[in-house]
Amino acid sequence: MIILKINSWAELLFGAAIGISVVFIALAILVILFEIVQKIMIGQSKKKQRKAGKKSDEIVDTSANANEIVAISAAIHLFFNETHDKESNVITIKQIEKRYSPWNSKIYGLNNTLHR
Amino acid sequence: MRDLKYKIGLLLILIGLFMPISMFAQDGGISGSLILDSLQKFWNNTSFANFEYKYLVMIFVGLVFIYLGIAKNWEPLLLVPIGFGILVGNVPFTEGYKIGIYEPGSVLSILYSGVISGWYPPLIFLGIGAMTDFSTLIANPKLLLLGAAAQVGIFATFIGAYAIGFTPEQCGAIGIIGGADGPTAIFLSSRLAPELMGAIAVAAYSYMALVPVIQPPVMKLLTNKKERVIRMKPPRQVSRFEKIAFPIIGLLLTTFISPSAMPLLGMLFFGNLLKESGVTERLAETARFALINTITILLGLTVGASTQADRFLTVDSLLIFGLGAASFVVATASGVLFAKIMNLFLKEGNKINPLIGSAGVSAVPDSARVSQEVGLHYDKTNHLLMHAMAPNVAGVIGSAVAAGILLSMLS
Repeated sequence: MIILKINSWAELLFGAAIGISVVFIALAILVILFEIVQKIMIGQSKKKQRKAGKKSDEIVDTSANANEIVAISAAIHLFFNETHDKESNVITIKQIEKRYSPWNSKIYGLNNTLHR
Repeated sequence: MRDLKYKIGLLLILIGLFMPISMFAQDGGISGSLILDSLQKFWNNTSFANFEYKYLVMIFVGLVFIYLGIAKNWEPLLLVPIGFGILVGNVPFTEGYKIGIYEPGSVLSILYSGVISGWYPPLIFLGIGAMTDFSTLIANPKLLLLGAAAQVGIFATFIGAYAIGFTPEQCGAIGIIGGADGPTAIFLSSRLAPELMGAIAVAAYSYMALVPVIQPPVMKLLTNKKERVIRMKPPRQVSRFEKIAFPIIGLLLTTFISPSAMPLLGMLFFGNLLKESGVTERLAETARFALINTITILLGLTVGASTQADRFLTVDSLLIFGLGAASFVVATASGVLFAKIMNLFLKEGNKINPLIGSAGVSAVPDSARVSQEVGLHYDKTNHLLMHAMAPNVAGVIGSAVAAGILLSMLS
C-alpha cells in the first residue's frame, strides 16, 4: 500500500513533513496519556495516606532529593561496614617448628593395610 | 656443521616424498603436464588467484573494526562480529561452489536470510525490550518529545539523499541511519532497498560505535556553560502498575498510528512486558541474554560478510557513509535544540539540561553515556545518566515509528 507516490520535490518535502509530524503526534499522545496516569497515581497515593489517618499538611512528596538519597545510602553503607570486624589484610604463612613425639606422629593415625 | 647435516636430511626426505609421485606418473603414462594442470586448477581455486586490491581494502576495514572493538572498546559487541564478518566476506573465492554470502544455498546465504527477510531485527528488539527500564520515561513523560525531535535527522537525510540522486525508496532506507538504530536500519533497508543493505547496515553500526566521537562537539557547540550545568529534579518512583501499563498502552497507541512499525514495536513492548510483569522472568531472561546474543552474533557476522568488495566498494556506498555522518550530526543537533526550546516553556526548577537532548538518537545506552560524560565535565556532581536514559529509550520508539511511516509511504 503506497500512501504517497513521490515523483517531485514538493511531494518529497510534503512526505517528510508528514513523517516527522506523525512521529511527534504519536509520542505527544503518549506524553499526554502518561501525564494523566501520573496525576491519577499521585492522587490515589495521597488518598490512601489520607485514609490511613494522615492530615493533608502531613502528606509530603515521597520523591526525595538526590543528595538526600546519596547521604542515606552512604550512611547505611558505613553502618553495615562497621558491623564487620577490621582485619589487617596481611596474609602470611608462619613456619611452625614441631618436635617429634609419638603423640603427634602421623603414622599412628593412618590405617595400615593388612598383610596376610 | 650440524646445521648442514640437518639441511641434507631434510632434502633427502623431500626427494623421498616426491620420487614415488614422479615414478608413478612415468609408469602410468601420466604426463607431467597433467600434474601441472592439476596444480594450475588448484592455484585457480585459491584466494591468491582471485585476488584484487579491493579485497585488501575491505580486509583492512575489517581489521580496523576489530581493533576499535578490542583496543578502544567501542561497541565491541557490534564491531568485533561485523569486523570479523568483513574478513569472512572478503576472502576471494571462485564462484559456483556455494561459498559466498550471495550464492544461493551457501551456509552464509542461509544465515543471511534473517537479514534479507528482516526477521533478525524484531528478535533483537524483543531482547532490547526485555533489557530496557522505562521508569525514568514514565516518571517524566515529556522527555519522550526529545526522542521524537532527534528523528528530524532521519527526514533531513531522506531529503538530502533525494538531492544527491537516490530513488525515493533508497532515500527512505538511507534516512533511517539518522535514527542511530542498527536493527531498524536493517529492517527498513531489507524492505525498501535491499541492494544498499550492506552499506546502510555497516554505516549505521559504525556511526553507532562512533557516537562518543560525533556527538560531544555538536553538544558543546549548541549549548552555553549555564545550560550545561542545569540540575534536573530526580525522577519519582514509578509504580508496578505504570510499568506494566506502559508497554500495553505504548504498543496499542503507536501501532494504531503506524501499523507498519508493528514487527519492531510489537516485539519491543512484548519484551518489556515479559520483564515488568514479574511472572515471566524465565522468558525475559532468555530474551535479554541467550536470544539477543545469538541473533547479534548471526546479524553482526552476516552483515559484515555482506560487504563483499566487488559489491560493496561503490560510489553509492561512499555517499551513504557521508549522508550517515551528516544525519547523526543533524539528529544530535535537533535533540539538543528541542530541549532548549522546551526550556522556554518550563518553569524554573523543572528545566531540562539540553545535553540530554542528544540522547534522543536511539543508540542505547551510548548516547545517554555521552550526555553523562559531557555533563560531568562541566559539573563533577551533576549526574545526567538517569535523565538521559528517558530520551534514549524514547528514541528507540521514535525511530521505529519513523521507520513504519517511511515503510508505509514508500513500499
